[in-house]
Amino acid sequence: MRLILLALLVFNSPVIAQEDLSAKAWLDNMSQALREQEFKMSLIQLQADHIRPLVYIHGKIEDQEVAFLEHLNGPPKNAVRVGTTVTFIEHDQPAYSVRANRIQGILPPAFAADISKLESGYQFVLGGRSRLAGRPSQLVRIIPKDNFRYGYQVWLDMESYLPLRYDMLTQDKQLLEQILVVELLVLDAPPAILIEAYKQDWPAVASQSKRDVGDNWTFNWLPEGFEILVKDSHRLMGSHEAVEYIALSDGMANISVYVARVGDTKMPEELVTRNGLSLATEVVGNFEVVAVGKVPTETLTRIAKSIGIQ
Amino acid sequence: MDKLGQEWVSAAVDGETDEHALAELAADEGSHRQWRDYHMIGDAMRGELPKSINLDLSASIADAIDKEPRIIAPARRVDSKKPELAIGGFANVIPMFKQFGQYAIAASVALFAVVGVQNYSQQSAIDVSPLPVLNTRPLVGSVTPVSLQTGPVQASQSLSNVQVMEQRQRINAYIQDHMLQQRLNNGAKIDDNSKLDSNLADH
Repeated sequence: MRLILLALLVFNSPVIAQEDLSAKAWLDNMSQALREQEFKMSLIQLQADHIRPLVYIHGKIEDQEVAFLEHLNGPPKNAVRVGTTVTFIEHDQPAYSVRANRIQGILPPAFAADISKLESGYQFVLGGRSRLAGRPSQLVRIIPKDNFRYGYQVWLDMESYLPLRYDMLTQDKQLLEQILVVELLVLDAPPAILIEAYKQDWPAVASQSKRDVGDNWTFNWLPEGFEILVKDSHRLMGSHEAVEYIALSDGMANISVYVARVGDTKMPEELVTRNGLSLATEVVGNFEVVAVGKVPTETLTRIAKSIGIQ
Repeated sequence: MDKLGQEWVSAAVDGETDEHALAELAADEGSHRQWRDYHMIGDAMRGELPKSINLDLSASIADAIDKEPRIIAPARRVDSKKPELAIGGFANVIPMFKQFGQYAIAASVALFAVVGVQNYSQQSAIDVSPLPVLNTRPLVGSVTPVSLQTGPVQASQSLSNVQVMEQRQRINAYIQDHMLQQRLNNGAKIDDNSKLDSNLADH
């Protein structure tokens, strides 16, 4: 009983302790909150001139994380996660499941993972406090250590440590993407919809064993912190072009590198979209290397130039 | 139809009876008609009669209630999903690409891709018009004007319209594939971790 009281005391006094929390500790708390708390967030996602309202519900049932993401506008588009299975339910196709530890598409999955993995590419700096979604919040900046990637800002609820706003910015502080929570409800018990989702039988996880092992590609230069996640060879979805594929990530930014035979039509050397996704092409002899990702084009060009076979 | 009974019903209509009397009245079928008649007389006097009067109202209601489907409590669902089963489920995975093809997933990421490509702008347009932004056609039928930044597009001056379209298709294919891989790769990371975990568990 005393232990419980002590624990309660510890939990009840974060306000005092918050004063000397480091930026990293704030992010660690956020990561833990995203994994362990039960909450419902109504949020809007701003990307270039696209605005999407979403609802995200998260809870724990029988020690498993269960989450539900719903697009509120347009044709129904939902995703459900039970444990490490994410099922996408969309109006125009049968539901399918993949293995993933977060639902892709809103907050970066890295936010709920081990924050120290981001330290090789970014530094964390505490900013000011402001009021978001009717709650006091603390700004934490995730600043890239070099010019090879974009920066991020996240505002955390001072009570629950859940993110209330997330910005992705270019080096000259132009906004590329923003997620803004309009309402946050911290719950005591998993809501009925999650219990229902937990009981439901979802389609079996898509097998990834069909992936052909790609060539042994290597890079003689990568920005600090970037690692190769996956290598394979597959065909592009739309055009059926056969490509060698390498996935790179530094935790926040994901880059896809493709090696293919030079096509009939040339790819543009560089292009940037307004939501920050860039593409760069480098032609080497009969092959072209295409790099895609939410990083500056210079980074993509340099990565495309540095690829080689081991 | 005795006088006493009539007074009784009349009192009930005026709300001057106790519950016990009311229950008795309800049991006496013969009085029901009177009950209705008194009410109708009252309504007529107050000028509250509906335009058409269905005199056999009580009978039709009783009829409707009889026809109403009976509500049966749903059988309790047997929850067969146990945690062990869920984990075991991964063992007999169905190859996704066999099931419904890669296009299915591609379609789902297409929406994102659309955002990506419509902002693509072309250097060659500058030669034609002082307002390159207006000249760029979005790839997938949206009318978003272009350009945060224009990348140098080499030799695009020599591209014909058909080639421009083809180029855009290729760009779209790459961006779609990139978006799709984001969904798939996330799992790849876990696979590695779980291998690691099981190794640790073995030792």
